[in-house]
Amino acid sequence: MDRNQISKWLKNPGKMAHKYSFHVVYFCTGCGIIEIPPSITTRWDAERFGIIPVATPRQANLFLITGYVSTKTLKAIIRTYEQMPEPKYTVAFGSCPINGGMYYDSYNTITSLDKYIPVDGYIAGCMPRPEAVFIGVTHLWKLIDMDKADGYKRYREDYVHYRANQEQLYGQMDWPPLFPVEKKEQANL
Amino acid sequence: MNIVALIVSPLIALITGLFFLGLSRKISARIHWRYGPPVYQPFIDVMRAFSQKSITHGNFFDFGIILSLTGTIVLVLFLPIGGLWALNTGGLIMFLYLMLLGPFGIALSGAAAANPNSSIGISRNFLLALAYEVPLLLILLAVMTDYNTISLVEIVEKQAATGMAISSWRLVIPGIAYFLILPAILGLRPFEITGAVQEIASGPIAEFGGKHMAFYTLQHALQTFVGIALFVDIFLGGGTLFGLLNSLAGTVWVDILEIFIFLLKMVLVLFIGLFVNAVYPRFRIEQAMQYLWKWPTLIAFVGLVIVAIIN
Repeated sequence: MDRNQISKWLKNPGKMAHKYSFHVVYFCTGCGIIEIPPSITTRWDAERFGIIPVATPRQANLFLITGYVSTKTLKAIIRTYEQMPEPKYTVAFGSCPINGGMYYDSYNTITSLDKYIPVDGYIAGCMPRPEAVFIGVTHLWKLIDMDKADGYKRYREDYVHYRANQEQLYGQMDWPPLFPVEKKEQANL
Repeated sequence: MNIVALIVSPLIALITGLFFLGLSRKISARIHWRYGPPVYQPFIDVMRAFSQKSITHGNFFDFGIILSLTGTIVLVLFLPIGGLWALNTGGLIMFLYLMLLGPFGIALSGAAAANPNSSIGISRNFLLALAYEVPLLLILLAVMTDYNTISLVEIVEKQAATGMAISSWRLVIPGIAYFLILPAILGLRPFEITGAVQEIASGPIAEFGGKHMAFYTLQHALQTFVGIALFVDIFLGGGTLFGLLNSLAGTVWVDILEIFIFLLKMVLVLFIGLFVNAVYPRFRIEQAMQYLWKWPTLIAFVGLVIVAIIN
């Protein structure tokens, strides 16, 4: 621990603890998952930074979406994201979730993930190497320090908008909304 | 009843238990040729988990985990930590009863979550408890017969007078049996079937998030502490070390140093457990039961017979 961080720890222990203990749930879509085993095991050792993979979204606070997102997997991604306890952070991996990447004109691939769930940061590359993943993590630290990693707050505030986007894709969805959506109905009336 | 011990001993148990979790992560990392997390990583994890919002699945979900944590804290009060103990009643019989309260509470809240992974984990947890309680009971019977008492404090005091139990030839066989079931009590790798992350998504705690996860981590730390501390108390003579502190007898330093010696002994036992944990793969549940009901039970039974004949 850095000695000049002690005042930060005393000021806001919850925030600092969030920075140094990422329990990650990986969503194994596409080729990005290939980069995860070396980064969490012996070669690059993500546990140095307190990053460990966990088995269920309930225990996690960081959500890595590793690669392109097809229309079908997006449903599972939304459910996983909604099950994670707040505060939670999302990092999308590679160029596919940003703008579709090499699947930009595919009929069943989502071209921008940010329309459906809030994304706190992107790691660009095709694929990003584990070093890039760690740089992404340090950027996420900075964002948390500046209170800019507020995806979960955006999701709560603009839930009507996000839910509308999701429903536009799937029609009627088979699980109830996470936050109340009465506001939208009133606006429609 | 000692008021100071009532407050201090759960605190020591919590802090050392969390450090043990961190130490075990660090040691496993070094065995994998990794650098590993800092030793205080579990403290950060607990702080993070407490600052997260958690989702509840009903009253039993909340009640179960609290019951589990309090049950384990009460268990710590009965343990002599060096020269420090809060309660001197009940003894080992009480201890055996209360030992089931931790798994029981977690099972209660896991069942309330109604996750299929939790249900599998709970059934495995109770089967494993059933498997290791048989040799554990035989071992404790042997010890109680040999020392002619059921009180943990008296067992430790008698060892202070006569030397470690494991160095006397009568109790070395139950000691070996206890050592064989120690990974099952701690939930370390050959018996890591309850919370198998890759198989059943961490089992009973699959639905735990936020504060529930924090309480579970604290309970797990205490459970680790209790499992090792019982071994140190019964077989390694508690806080005594070959009469090293006899010259200081009567001063307050003895109490403090005894706690340190106790913790050092615990670290030693933990290290050996971790080396076993790093080498072995995971048993299936029927393999674990076969093993636990065969070798440790047999050895413990032989030990009990020998002790009974001599007495």
